[in-house]
Amino acid sequence: MHNIQRLKPLVVTLVMALCFLSGQLSTEVFAAASEAKIGFALSMTGGAASYGATQTKGAQLAIDEINAAAGADGLKILPVFEDDASVPQQGISVFNKFINADKVSIIIGPTLSNTAQVADRIAQDAGMPVLGISNTAKGITEIGDFVFRNSLTEMIVIPNTIKVAKEKFGLKKVAVFYGNDDAFTKGGYEAFKKALADAGIEILTEQSFAKGDRDFSPQLTQIKGKNPDAIIVSALVEEASGIVSQARQLGIAATVPIIGGNGFNSPALIKNAGEAAEGVMMGAAWNASSTLPANSKFVAAFTAKNGGAPDQFAAQAYAGVYIAYEAIKKAGSTTDHKAIRDALLQLKELDTVLGKFSFTAGRDADHIPVVQIVKGGKFTVLE
Amino acid sequence: MDLLAQQLVNGLFIGSVYGLFAVGYTLVFGVLDILNLAHAAVFTLGGLIALWLVETWGLSIWIAFPASVLICGLLGLLLDQVAFAPLRQRADSNFSGLISSIAMAIIFESAALGLFGARTVRFPAGTVSVHIWRWEGLSITSLQVEIVAISILLMFALTQFLNRARVGKAIRAVAENDRTARLLGIHVDGIIAFTFFISSALGGAAGILFGLYFDSLSPDMGRSIELKGLAVIILGGMGSIPGAILGGLAFGLSEVLTVAITGTSNLRDAVAFTVLFTVLVLRPSGLLGRKKLREA
Amino acid sequence: MEALTQFFAIYGSLVNFIGINAILALSLYLTLAAGQLSLGSAAFAGIGGYTAGILTMKLGVPFLLSVVAGSVLSGLVGLLIGLPVLRLHGVFLAIATLAFGEVVRITVLNLDITGGAQGLVGIPNHTKTWGIYLALAVVGYAIAKLRYSRLGWCFESIREDETAAGAMGIDTTYYKTLAFVLGAMLAGFAGALYAHLNYLITPREFGFSVAVDLLIFNIVGGTRAWYGPILGAVLLTALPEILRGTGITAGPMRMAVNGLILLLVILFLPNGLVSIFRRSASKAKDSTLAISEEA
Repeated sequence: MHNIQRLKPLVVTLVMALCFLSGQLSTEVFAAASEAKIGFALSMTGGAASYGATQTKGAQLAIDEINAAAGADGLKILPVFEDDASVPQQGISVFNKFINADKVSIIIGPTLSNTAQVADRIAQDAGMPVLGISNTAKGITEIGDFVFRNSLTEMIVIPNTIKVAKEKFGLKKVAVFYGNDDAFTKGGYEAFKKALADAGIEILTEQSFAKGDRDFSPQLTQIKGKNPDAIIVSALVEEASGIVSQARQLGIAATVPIIGGNGFNSPALIKNAGEAAEGVMMGAAWNASSTLPANSKFVAAFTAKNGGAPDQFAAQAYAGVYIAYEAIKKAGSTTDHKAIRDALLQLKELDTVLGKFSFTAGRDADHIPVVQIVKGGKFTVLE
Repeated sequence: MDLLAQQLVNGLFIGSVYGLFAVGYTLVFGVLDILNLAHAAVFTLGGLIALWLVETWGLSIWIAFPASVLICGLLGLLLDQVAFAPLRQRADSNFSGLISSIAMAIIFESAALGLFGARTVRFPAGTVSVHIWRWEGLSITSLQVEIVAISILLMFALTQFLNRARVGKAIRAVAENDRTARLLGIHVDGIIAFTFFISSALGGAAGILFGLYFDSLSPDMGRSIELKGLAVIILGGMGSIPGAILGGLAFGLSEVLTVAITGTSNLRDAVAFTVLFTVLVLRPSGLLGRKKLREA
Repeated sequence: MEALTQFFAIYGSLVNFIGINAILALSLYLTLAAGQLSLGSAAFAGIGGYTAGILTMKLGVPFLLSVVAGSVLSGLVGLLIGLPVLRLHGVFLAIATLAFGEVVRITVLNLDITGGAQGLVGIPNHTKTWGIYLALAVVGYAIAKLRYSRLGWCFESIREDETAAGAMGIDTTYYKTLAFVLGAMLAGFAGALYAHLNYLITPREFGFSVAVDLLIFNIVGGTRAWYGPILGAVLLTALPEILRGTGITAGPMRMAVNGLILLLVILFLPNGLVSIFRRSASKAKDSTLAISEEA
């Protein structure tokens, strides 16, 4: 009997918690007929907070432009931004909320591939189209036919980079340096490794670091001892800038190029590594210096609004909003998710800041990657 | 050979940064037997506040440095007043203090995130002039030398202060036994508050030096050094100032030598933590720690 | 009824996480009950989760069997680690278990069979909500019973004063190790359930911050009663969603509120949320004591 007595407070709290939670259900907002609700699941806190922040800015800019252009009668976007705190668990909660409470037309996000691995399955099961704007790990779009991404994967970007670098520098033997506790950098490493093997380039040494490391000198010293023709780095920009500047500080000659992937394509690299960033090469999905009208307009507007230049994450978020908007308009419905999914697949050669954009049959991004090099403190395209 | 020499330089340098971070950590532990897990958050704020002073107010680093250190010291006072002082009379104060310091760490980190944004930023180029010396393939920067020098100076000053100055002696008395210290007429609460001031000021100083050298500051920069700092104060012996320095150097060297000897870096942190684990099991009081009969 | 369906559609996975976190919190509670502060629970959950996940996914072992295997292996590792580290006390024990946790995490990151940083992908989805809550009910009942058993009193006496307990003839090493191993097994069990929930587990989900979270669940809920950790796990796992519901969506703000709640609880409710109920139910408690003494 006394056991039941002791259970009582627990039951009471559980019931109270449930009531409180269900009370939230009534706060649903229904979109007007000419408004398309888009759910943004982005990481605003936690490990990927800096990416979530720039993605939010990129997306918000696109939304503002679209809504201003839509006028009184046109289709407007009603965005719902939610923070997944960089953890899969909360990503799932956010997706469930978007699907069942907000009843959005399409979900954009999540920021991290690991979160996408679990959350996208929920969207797939519910028949909700989801557009990844920064997921580059393999296996994301294989989850199902409602999962799309506009972020060019490392598997496409990197072989191209290695090919260009080999032609330009005559690479024979290189050192590889990568982050081994992060899905993005580890995936990049695997892509590099495969591309190097295919190109017949020898790997002298493989070194790794952990997310959050700031001191890379022990590994770089080992690399220096091997005298490689180039250093291949798979890192996000936080680590990339430190790697680049410490490599030069340790006396690795500027004639030994440092080659990176998508993660390097950020103004923060040039800002934080300073002069050491000169000559750094990277394969990327977005050409920052592109003079396409759409891109120049984006860079100017973004810089004016946020007081700093955009990076690839902002560009992909910006493009993602336009892509989703185009599809919803084409589908002619904000609630028919299947029609929106079909419309996404049918988009062809859409003009975006990423270039002419289409999806592959596998729902991955299909546009041409670029190889950039830092020259005079600016990203320029390596021809 | 010069490869190994360079690795030793690398290890000594990063080790002294760890040591500087750990000194403040271990000071509070020595006095209160409390692990202050907000120390890493103060470290972060120190760097970010100095950057803010330099960038927004256009101050020279020579003014921004002491100003930020002072602000961090004040944060330490706040930390003591909010998170530790109210718990002091409790039987489980070292346990509840651990939790309240985690709460303060979360609050500080969210403040850093809210005020300074999530981006990784750096001090403007040329904040300090850096010269690189190269010799036989070995390279050392003037900033490295300065940071090691400042670390040694701060630690030397702290040791002298604790051994010679009246307040320093009072801190040691409180560390030994706070009740006796109270009986001897020492204002124990004031001394504890002062200890937090010094500890946090040192943590802030470490954050600024860290940010200056690595050109990278972000709200979560304290996270990666937090666990290493813990390892360092265990290695050195909880509460021991020379131990923290020695522990920092030992930890830095163990990291570097793992890379140098095995040629790969995947297991770098695993080796460091295995060493920590082994030291704890074999010699719980650390390399230079005192043995206590009954630990809290 | 429709509201309930709607509720589960939105918060179904949250309800699952709450259940798993509650079991995890209880696993740490077992260790804390014997006065041992461990930060290794997350790593034990990882060992259980990865073991069970690999068994079902790669070897086609039945779900229940692999859950058992995960718990047992986790318990064995707990025994292996517990024997040397349990000679340590307080913060030192916490740091030793923390170091162990880091070594486990880094090992998992560097193995091929675990999928490294990308995680173990494609684990079959076997864990059901009713299964989690059935397990929680059984575990909760067992731990509630344990509290007033001989074993429970041994744990309690070690927690209050280990030296005195030893002097009274209690084999402290045995009971401390037992508590630690039971905790490890339970954590491994919860980890195994968790692995079969969402197709994927990654090393980061069993890292230091999770170990700290489990400790926080116990402290906020209170460790003076078996339902304390459950209470803490329920409240804090639901908190991000509750805050989201109340419109506090901005990232840093939510984090600050989280920290503030933790601070307020530790400052004003020394024994956790449990003390709110305990104060009003202190009469009931007295009678319980009387009963168990008679028995």
